[in-house]
Amino acid sequence: MSVAELLSGAQILCRVLVEEGVDTIWGYPGGAIMPFYHALPDVPEIRHVLVRHEQAAAHAADGYARATGRIGVCVATSGPGATNLVTGLATAHMDSSPVLAITGQVPRPMMGRDAFQETDVLGITLPITKHNCLISETRAAIAIATEGRPGPVLIDVPKDVQNQKTEYRPVSGVGRQVSSARFSLTPDTQHLTPPDDRVRQAARLIAAAERPLLMVGHGVILSGAYDEVRRLAEKTGIPVITTLLGISAFPESHPLHLGMPGMHGEVHVNRAIQHADLIVGIGLRFDDRVTGNTKGFAPRAAIVHIDLDASEIGKNVPVAVPIVGDARAATARLVAAVAPRRCEAWIAEVQGWARQREESYCGDLSPENIVAAIHDAAPDRCTIVTDVGQHQMWVAKLYPYRRPNTHITSGGLGTMGFAVPAAMGVKLARPGEAVWAISGDGGFQMNMQEIATMVQERIAVKMAVFNNGYLGMVRQWQQFFHGGRYSATPIWSPDYVKLADAYGIPGWRVERASDLEPVLARASAQPGPALVEFVIEQEANVFPMIPPGATLSEPIEAEPAAAAGD
Amino acid sequence: MAQALSLLLDRELLALNRAVGELRRRNLPIESLAVGPGDAPGQARLTVIVNTDDATAEMTMRKLHKLSGVQSATRFPVRDGVARELALVKVRVPPERHAELLDVCDMFKATVVAEPPEQAIVQLAGTGAFVLAFVRALERFGILEMTRSGAVALPCLPAE
Repeated sequence: MSVAELLSGAQILCRVLVEEGVDTIWGYPGGAIMPFYHALPDVPEIRHVLVRHEQAAAHAADGYARATGRIGVCVATSGPGATNLVTGLATAHMDSSPVLAITGQVPRPMMGRDAFQETDVLGITLPITKHNCLISETRAAIAIATEGRPGPVLIDVPKDVQNQKTEYRPVSGVGRQVSSARFSLTPDTQHLTPPDDRVRQAARLIAAAERPLLMVGHGVILSGAYDEVRRLAEKTGIPVITTLLGISAFPESHPLHLGMPGMHGEVHVNRAIQHADLIVGIGLRFDDRVTGNTKGFAPRAAIVHIDLDASEIGKNVPVAVPIVGDARAATARLVAAVAPRRCEAWIAEVQGWARQREESYCGDLSPENIVAAIHDAAPDRCTIVTDVGQHQMWVAKLYPYRRPNTHITSGGLGTMGFAVPAAMGVKLARPGEAVWAISGDGGFQMNMQEIATMVQERIAVKMAVFNNGYLGMVRQWQQFFHGGRYSATPIWSPDYVKLADAYGIPGWRVERASDLEPVLARASAQPGPALVEFVIEQEANVFPMIPPGATLSEPIEAEPAAAAGD
Repeated sequence: MAQALSLLLDRELLALNRAVGELRRRNLPIESLAVGPGDAPGQARLTVIVNTDDATAEMTMRKLHKLSGVQSATRFPVRDGVARELALVKVRVPPERHAELLDVCDMFKATVVAEPPEQAIVQLAGTGAFVLAFVRALERFGILEMTRSGAVALPCLPAE
């Protein structure tokens, strides 16, 4: 039925994006991508957001993808435009986020001649993309990015290809079903049904365990296995640990929720891991920030590991029962296979290890107060996007997440500067909800130019800056492990209230706890973007902390001087 | 332990680049690499001989297996199969020593494949050690040039 049209490569690219349901793209024009930008105004279905730096385009696309589960798209020109995407793509790669990057490239006859703004972006992004290629079927690229374990895909489109006219037939219905299987991408793990005997084996271990734990990670969010995980926990009474990227996969208020494990996990959570005789890990990769020194990780526990990616099984910790498969499907099978049980004695034992957080805070503007005030001022539907550093840990530990996938952060790569641009992506994905970008003064200054994007595009992100005048987490490491030599960690900030004013948005500085409620109420009520700076204790630390290279049994729980006698 | 990793790739340099990049990233002690046509059009075969323990080899396989452009990946210990490389050696051969060269070639089951004036190009397939022994045997003639391929390998037992 469809009639062939003579279209340019750029026009075809736009058409395919629309046909694939893309409604928002983030980008920055330049020489080698100009044909694409020339075609774009004819495609009203796609909203293009002009960022102020291509890194922000990649993070925004990532935020959009994490919030929707659909492809997030960013566009850049060749050379510097493409290289500026690199950090964002590496971030998406580490956290399994489906991002499509489209880069312009110099015309094919110029390639390899060191042409103006030419760079080998395929070579550069090879290890940080799930797939990349010159030109390509855009549909297949999207399929690869979103199927199986998601990840970023980059397509590099030479300018002459964007200009070249060719016949195009729109595809619809069945014809649109493109599978990455056509492109020989891990065909075997994607639709794998977990073997029955493995599931039964796991169920037997669960029945026999005296100190079982569930550890859930990002895979639960990616597969939407919330109900299945909850049913597994409730049927067996097993307490649930959520990794940094697993936060909000299980309600914090649930009586079976224990907290976050690892380097800054609470003492009772880590001790539970060290005493557990069974760990059922779902959709997590036993990252070193979670396990501490793997030689001493969970020494008494047999590990059941459910993951979509076979290469994750046994990568960091030995696994007794590997179950390769989608977290949702595999957990559902496990729920059906397990016998109901309770773990009251074990939970009581773990709760007995819980202790009051060491208050190392001078003044009343504590992270606890700030996080509680942000929560109290936020409407019920609110997503928190955090940056990297001390504030990230405080928010992860203190914010009472109730709804699934409402905590978005750069976990694997630990990308400072992530929060502000990623929050823009989240906001356009969830226009009806509040979105807070919470950063430190270091990370905020890495991408604060994006306030201009928010203003121009009316993206109502609320920004919180935890200002302690230091690169706080690095300073904490210097204090603990480098003899207190604060090398290059003091950081000056501009006047954030004036900065907000310069961008034409409201800004507040909060220095006392008594100001929290009124300021956050006003910031939340703003129809557009708003900025709130919290002037916090300069040398506050995140406790507890497992020193790098130590096991989960060796937490630092107080200032080093006080801890010296322990 | 020497392990042979045998990969079928999409026949494009990006796929090869990705596979080799994964090996480089893991900093594995690679003994040899060989790239050639695969079993079907559009395929390439990459054979890697790597000296590492079983667990590392297995983890590497899983990583390789999920790369875009890698169609299949199998591995086996070299001792459970055969691994052979090809050598081409150009030696100086005055006519009076021609018979002597043929004797050496006979001993190693090597073949003279080209005979430029006063020279010969000899071809030999064998294990790395066998090829080295042959090269040593040819040294008395004077080796002008030589080139060796990486090893290709097949398992004797069915690969897992």
